[in-house]
Amino acid sequence: MKTRQKPKTRPIVDHETLPHITLGARPDGIAVLTFDHPDTSANIFDATTMGELSDLLDALRLDPLLRGVVITSAKPSIFVAGADLDELEGARGGEVAKLVERGQRTFDKLAGLPVPTAAAIHGACLGGGLEMALACDWRIASPDKVTKIGLPETALGILPAWGGSTRLPRLIGLPKALGVILGARPMPPRRALGLGVVDELVPRERLLERALQLVRGDAPKRRRHLLANNPISAAATRWLASRRSRRRTRGHYPAHAAAIGVACRGAGGSVSASLRRERDAAVRLAGTGAAENLMRLFRLGEGARKSRGATGADPAERLEVGRTAVIGAGVMGAGIAQWFSSRGLPAILQDIDTTRVASGMLAVDRLYRDGVRRRLFSEREARLLADLVSPAATPVPLDRVDLVVEAAVEDLEVKKGIFRDLSARARPDAILATNTSALPVAELARAPGVDHPGRVLGLHFFNPVHRMKLVEVIATDLTDAAAVESALRFVRRAGKLPVLVKDRPGFLVNRVLMPYLVEAGRLFERGADPLAVDRAMLDFGMPVGPLRLLDEVGLDVAAQVAGTMSALGRRFEAPIVLAALVDAGHLGRKSGAGFFLYGGRGGSGVRPNPSALDLRGGGGEGAGGDRTATHLSLLMVDEGRRALDEGVARSADDIDLAMVLGAGFAPFRGGPMRYGSRLLEEGVRHQLGELGAGP
Amino acid sequence: MNIITERNPGPAVVVDGLRTPFAKMGGALAALDAADLGRVAVDALLTRTGIDPAIVDETIFGCVSQPAGSANVARVIALRSGIPAAVPAVTVGRNCGSGLEALTAAAGRIAAGRGEVFVVGGTESMSRIPLLFSAGAAAKFAALARCRTLPARAAAMLQFRPGDFAPLVALKLGLTDPVAGMNMGQTAELLAREHGISRRAQDAFACHSHRKATAARGRLGEEICPVYHPGATDGHLSEDEGPRENQSLEALAKLKPAFETRTGSVTAGNSSQITDGAVALLVMAEARAAALGLEPLGRLVDFAHAGCEPERMGLGPAHAIRELARRTGRRPDDADLVEVNEAFAAQVLAVAKTLRGPGFEGLGLPIDRLNPNGGAIALGHPVGATGARLALTALHELRRGGGGGALVSLCIAGGQGIAAWFERP
Repeated sequence: MKTRQKPKTRPIVDHETLPHITLGARPDGIAVLTFDHPDTSANIFDATTMGELSDLLDALRLDPLLRGVVITSAKPSIFVAGADLDELEGARGGEVAKLVERGQRTFDKLAGLPVPTAAAIHGACLGGGLEMALACDWRIASPDKVTKIGLPETALGILPAWGGSTRLPRLIGLPKALGVILGARPMPPRRALGLGVVDELVPRERLLERALQLVRGDAPKRRRHLLANNPISAAATRWLASRRSRRRTRGHYPAHAAAIGVACRGAGGSVSASLRRERDAAVRLAGTGAAENLMRLFRLGEGARKSRGATGADPAERLEVGRTAVIGAGVMGAGIAQWFSSRGLPAILQDIDTTRVASGMLAVDRLYRDGVRRRLFSEREARLLADLVSPAATPVPLDRVDLVVEAAVEDLEVKKGIFRDLSARARPDAILATNTSALPVAELARAPGVDHPGRVLGLHFFNPVHRMKLVEVIATDLTDAAAVESALRFVRRAGKLPVLVKDRPGFLVNRVLMPYLVEAGRLFERGADPLAVDRAMLDFGMPVGPLRLLDEVGLDVAAQVAGTMSALGRRFEAPIVLAALVDAGHLGRKSGAGFFLYGGRGGSGVRPNPSALDLRGGGGEGAGGDRTATHLSLLMVDEGRRALDEGVARSADDIDLAMVLGAGFAPFRGGPMRYGSRLLEEGVRHQLGELGAGP
Repeated sequence: MNIITERNPGPAVVVDGLRTPFAKMGGALAALDAADLGRVAVDALLTRTGIDPAIVDETIFGCVSQPAGSANVARVIALRSGIPAAVPAVTVGRNCGSGLEALTAAAGRIAAGRGEVFVVGGTESMSRIPLLFSAGAAAKFAALARCRTLPARAAAMLQFRPGDFAPLVALKLGLTDPVAGMNMGQTAELLAREHGISRRAQDAFACHSHRKATAARGRLGEEICPVYHPGATDGHLSEDEGPRENQSLEALAKLKPAFETRTGSVTAGNSSQITDGAVALLVMAEARAAALGLEPLGRLVDFAHAGCEPERMGLGPAHAIRELARRTGRRPDDADLVEVNEAFAAQVLAVAKTLRGPGFEGLGLPIDRLNPNGGAIALGHPVGATGARLALTALHELRRGGGGGALVSLCIAGGQGIAAWFERP
């Protein structure tokens, strides 16, 4: 307690600069803590930063002249982006407890300061960053796009354990707090204001000034949320939220249950007891395979988002894509054009006649209206972004376009014709991309009349474009490294995660998925109950069962895609029942019936289609349960390994990321490759145990 | 007075142009305001020509009733069409002449050496012209807003009378001349009376306009860009809504006079239709267009404005055409086609009569070459857009017909006329 001896006349703590946090002392007794992590553009709470904050708060607490504290950041787009994931991932048992306690103690000191405190937030304020802000009396934020506020912990398989699960329900009421904690998504500032997570939105330039003004006054009087947070309401909320979470996660995501439990019990009662519960839950969760897998996927995603220079192309040859054109205004074309425009990229949407363009423009309009309803855009933003889509029902000049995405029908000859035309109309350096899901890209590059084949590549978006983060970037043997690099950069800039794959049938995601879908069809053919097959995979953690997925894709399309891949082996041969269904006019969801019935009463896709049941041979093989799930999921593991061996993907990590993002492979299992190696480990251990050699 | 210098980049040419279909008030485009409509036209023009909007020196748009939420609607249109923020924009107003005024303003700038590339046009949403509160009611609202206490507020509220809430129809006000105290229909009635133009002649003229317009659907399609909007059937509107395939004289004869109920002859059928629409033209100095390798639709040779009594605003074209002939020596008969805006059948017929009368020697209109693709009676008259539409239609007609020159003229509320001469480059 060295500071105690200092005389009272001395101005508050010396102006000093620590490596990560700058302390600026003002004559009016207000301390300004500025986070500024050296060497990186992000501020994070690693052990050093947390230690510095803790020491600073100790010093400030003892300063008799202290009148207030303001916390801010010197970074242009980050306030504090949360805990150090590397530290967390590496921590085990007791280390996790220590890590959690260190943060809790530090933020407790902040909350316990006898003077008003304020967080002036500009940029990402996530996880631990928000938990620190929640320990302040005031939170104000800039309304800028870079300002994102949230608690992403549950998406990583853990929970907010530096006081977030305790303080947020007390601040905004339990139901809203659960929405923020379980949603795990960063909120735009306006939403944070609406929920009461922040008190005011203030222009960036005035943030500090306003924060100083606030801490010069008294701490705010907060609502106590007696209606939402009393024990009875909390118990009801807990019951409801648990039930909903069990339904959604099928028990695979223990972090949700834990967060619900901690938040609901902590809404009343003592803070310290609730913090203990946060800690205990964090220790328990950090040891689960789910947390390990989710954190790994998060890191892989960050890697795909950031990686630079993956192909070793000369940066001088790279093309900065500014303007785009999409050829084909169907579901995919319209979705791609809408997505580009929503990211501020002008897009010409061209098709062969006004009717087709109109249906594409209607789809764009619907997506924007949907976005406004879901509060992704304001009315004004949606209008201005939609303005960036320029319809064209005739061939228009493409001189100013840097990237063309062809999204026409899946017909190689049609696509060749389009590429010939594009080759004549686009600049020679413009990238020509196809959104084919299965056709060979090299055939388009080699098509007669297509000049500069080095700029031809595949950009495979997934449906629905605005929801699916993955884009397969397909390089042929002819594609220039510079074009690939430009495409990768463009995809990242457009807010998607690119995975570079080889031009082999089905590329990566469809390739790995197809044997699994084919086998599900065969199980059905052999008499398995379609509901049981799908339920087994839902229980496994897939977002949708395989037979239902076939119905959604369209059985005709699925049969055609399987056909393009049949060269890879018998495991890609569509079951006979698929052709029979297509012949009978059962094309899946779009025709009202496939493996299941759609439309009408009794819920879509939950009643097996009786005519489909009749189409298959007799038999009556039982299916469902873990055995089926293992059987089907192992096919993805096996195909993933084959794809890796053939060099379709560059790494097992890429395959895992692509399958989780592109096919919804159960994220808590970490992707097919990770899941496969875990099964292998278990198998080895089991065998050793059998042999009496186990640990 | 020609100031031809070395820097003079030559006359203004129209490189290309497009317009939205004209839709009836309350029709397929009613949900779009003047800014939305103008943006559709400019976006389609920029997309089709593929020019870099950064080379544009200014955007000039005509609009009579600008949307309350988009003051200087030209600027809103420019920004929403991807024309860089550094490029200025201005909205011009000369009532029904506004759309052509935008073009002549650009020509003036080019002649003065103040820019070489302009996006010009006109836009109007007659559907979205607002309802207004009277000045008296507005004063009461203002007083109410100033009240601080509840009793004061209550007292202020008690000042309102039911009549205060009766809206003033801005469209009606806009079509009424504040000096003459007559609405536009009444000025047409005056011309019909003074020039002895019968109801039958007016109806026949109107019927002919519909015939020409319906026959010209394909030709007019060349100047139209579809408007993609959920409000339209099938999600797009690609044709003008106004022209009626089977318009008969009998049907027209059944209509009641719209402005003078008992003795009048001007009906909704022989007046221009009230419509929504926008036009965009790419205008350049001729030398610049040549340097860019663009083949223009036509050249603006010269233009003239003239004033007349507001009560007889419909005769504006006669005065403007005479002024233009004085400046250029070109007479209507020299033109391969003449476009005179059909505000009212009576008004166009009165112009034709006047141009054959004293004081207008040698300036008679070639009736067989007048409005070959129909006019506003069939196609509609989105007031701020029509001037640019006439120029666009005339230029396309010149291109198709291979003719040499076209005369375009409009009457303008308030008592003015505008006339412009175009020729193939």
